[in-house]
Amino acid sequence: MKCPLCDRIVDKKDYCTLHSQAYRNLVKKFESWRKARKISWQEYLNEIAENQFTGEWAKEMAEHLMRLGEKESVAES
Amino acid sequence: MKNYTLIITEKPDAAQRIALALNTQGKIERREEGGVPYYIATRDRDIVVAPSLGHLYTIAEERRGRDYYPVFNFRWVPRHSTERNAKRIRDWIATISKLAKNAETYIDACDYDIEGSVIGYCILKYACGNKERKSKRMKYSTLTKEELEKSYVEPLPHLNFALIEAGKARHEVDWLYGVNLSRALTISAKNWSGGYTTLTTGRVQGPSLKFIVNREKAIRSFVPTPFWEIRAKIKIGRYTFEAEYEKARIETEAEAHAIQRSCQGVDAKVEKIEVKRYQVDPPVPYDLGSLQREAYIFFRYAPRRTLNIAQRLYLEALISYPRTSSQRLPHEIDYRSILKNLSRNHKYREFTQSILSSPVVRPREGRESDPAHPAIYPTGKMAERDLDFMEARILDLVTRRFISTFGEPAVKESMKISINVNGHNFYMHGKRNLEDGWQRFYEPYAKSQEVIIPEISEKQSAIVRKIIVEGKFTRPPARYNPGSLLRKMEQAGIGTKATRANIIQALYDRKYIQDERMIAADLGFQVLETLEKHCPRVVSVEFTSELEEKMNMIQARKERKETVLLDAVETLKSATEKLKEKDKTIGERLSSPILKAKLERRIVGSCPTCSSGKLIILHSKKTRKRFLGCTNYFKAKCTTSFPLPQKGSVRSLNRSCRICGWPKIQIRVKRRRFWTLCFNPDCPSKVRRRRLEMPSM
Repeated sequence: MKCPLCDRIVDKKDYCTLHSQAYRNLVKKFESWRKARKISWQEYLNEIAENQFTGEWAKEMAEHLMRLGEKESVAES
Repeated sequence: MKNYTLIITEKPDAAQRIALALNTQGKIERREEGGVPYYIATRDRDIVVAPSLGHLYTIAEERRGRDYYPVFNFRWVPRHSTERNAKRIRDWIATISKLAKNAETYIDACDYDIEGSVIGYCILKYACGNKERKSKRMKYSTLTKEELEKSYVEPLPHLNFALIEAGKARHEVDWLYGVNLSRALTISAKNWSGGYTTLTTGRVQGPSLKFIVNREKAIRSFVPTPFWEIRAKIKIGRYTFEAEYEKARIETEAEAHAIQRSCQGVDAKVEKIEVKRYQVDPPVPYDLGSLQREAYIFFRYAPRRTLNIAQRLYLEALISYPRTSSQRLPHEIDYRSILKNLSRNHKYREFTQSILSSPVVRPREGRESDPAHPAIYPTGKMAERDLDFMEARILDLVTRRFISTFGEPAVKESMKISINVNGHNFYMHGKRNLEDGWQRFYEPYAKSQEVIIPEISEKQSAIVRKIIVEGKFTRPPARYNPGSLLRKMEQAGIGTKATRANIIQALYDRKYIQDERMIAADLGFQVLETLEKHCPRVVSVEFTSELEEKMNMIQARKERKETVLLDAVETLKSATEKLKEKDKTIGERLSSPILKAKLERRIVGSCPTCSSGKLIILHSKKTRKRFLGCTNYFKAKCTTSFPLPQKGSVRSLNRSCRICGWPKIQIRVKRRRFWTLCFNPDCPSKVRRRRLEMPSM
């Protein structure tokens, strides 16, 4: 199975090893952002996707999670 | 001519210089045989100085062919028998063999290091017919007349066999790793990607690539976190200063604004002034690594370029032997005479004379030592030809560094002023140079900026003009550049001073990395991923540095070459078995980055017409001629195309024309100078040239 964000093979979970690392970093850093700015997960993803220092894979992952979030909210409504 | 002394040198330039230095009667005679030069000098007896051309012998597998692995049987063979571009070596070996027949005594005068020792040994053993046990050894660190004469009159009684054994082990281990792993990758890629691409890796190349790829992973998966910095504009007396808050980073926005509210518009007081005097010691002399690093910092020269320039300066007898890891300058090199010679150059006269006027002339030395050579130092000789600007820069750097090591420490004063603002501390920092010391000699390479703070006294009251809160983000780690990667390799203890620069270049040549700020390419990622998955041991930094240590132990006669080779074979056996098992998967995974790398090699830059497409080298189906075309042509969006010269290879330079901004390319034709061109037909530089070429009316 291919990673939904690139052509690499999915190793264990839903993403390739490189995007999995980006996902772990995103989750890990959310706590610092929440304390620092008091923002929600969606706002956080938006900030990360637009930040100039965010790495390429982390940006791709943030955008992917935002899209997933939108889909879920559409499905719920 | 018979019964002469045959001296073997590593390079033709060194042969001529040695012949000139040893000759005492008349002029030296230059002879040539089969295009191979050699020199005849006369002293107490006839001396024939024959040069090598670097390594004349190399390692090759016993069985022919390149399409199989593993390969564990090898032997030392003449280079021309195995390398396509080494035909000249046949003549070189034939000439040396002929000269060896009538010689009575033999002296190995190749560079006194691992490579030089192996070069000399192979020539004496194979080309001269087992003369390695009869040969004496000249040991010198500069090609100056005095040192060469001394090393000829007092040669070492025999070759350094421990050094040779260590050198051979290094070559053999590197060959085993390089050939087996590179073939495994290349054959997998060839079998399953439909085309041939040389993929290489090796004992040091793999871990070096790992440093870059791991850094790239950290950068690309980096998630920044916010923080806040607080500064205060504070008026003390007549002056307004900017002071930093006691905590460099505030982690929450709420805390930052609370501090701002608490400090805004209140009175403040200078609480404490700390003044410290400190010394900055002179630098230690250059070893090769530190010279390469500084040449990169000051001139942006890649490590390999610096090594090549330093080698040329050494062969001109302007600096000592550059492939050294020593930071020491032994007393025997006669500092005073070098400094006196340097005084002949007006640039250095003032500094050298001030050093020579002091009663004790002693350099500051570093910890690192090298049994074979001292640190790099200038010989003080004047250049016999005009140096090009790069050579002049490196010579100046080495000379100033050498002079600086004799200087007095620089004395500086730092000032830390602590200001209390409503219970919060803010700090101001000042710095003054009291005595320049050695830094005067090392200008313009030593820079020290002063921050002068006018007189302020403790308990003096102050007014807070403004509190500035600035939101910032943490940044990803910096990418490696050739200088910082070199340092990392040194710290990790992988590679040698002589090989590191070439390994970095190999990573670029194989398209594993690109740009000066090293970016790992997809191919680099995939090669490393393959090796990490199937044979992690061979890309492990610890394993490589352990092996490096073992090879040093061979040199110290504490380890046997055979044991190290057997270990290497054992490791490689299991690694190649795993690679062979997964041949198909590896080949398929490598195919996409290989295709991408091949495509990128053909891309020259952005299309100047549509900006969204890329200009790529294409071949016409009709005429088979090559030209540059826009990738948007295939989407029927842009028809831009430019003709290209049909001879030679075309290479993108990844830089733009300074005048028109269009991408530049380089044409390389065999045995001709590179030709760099801007392909914009209307580039003002070409218009100007056309105008100049037009006949006057």
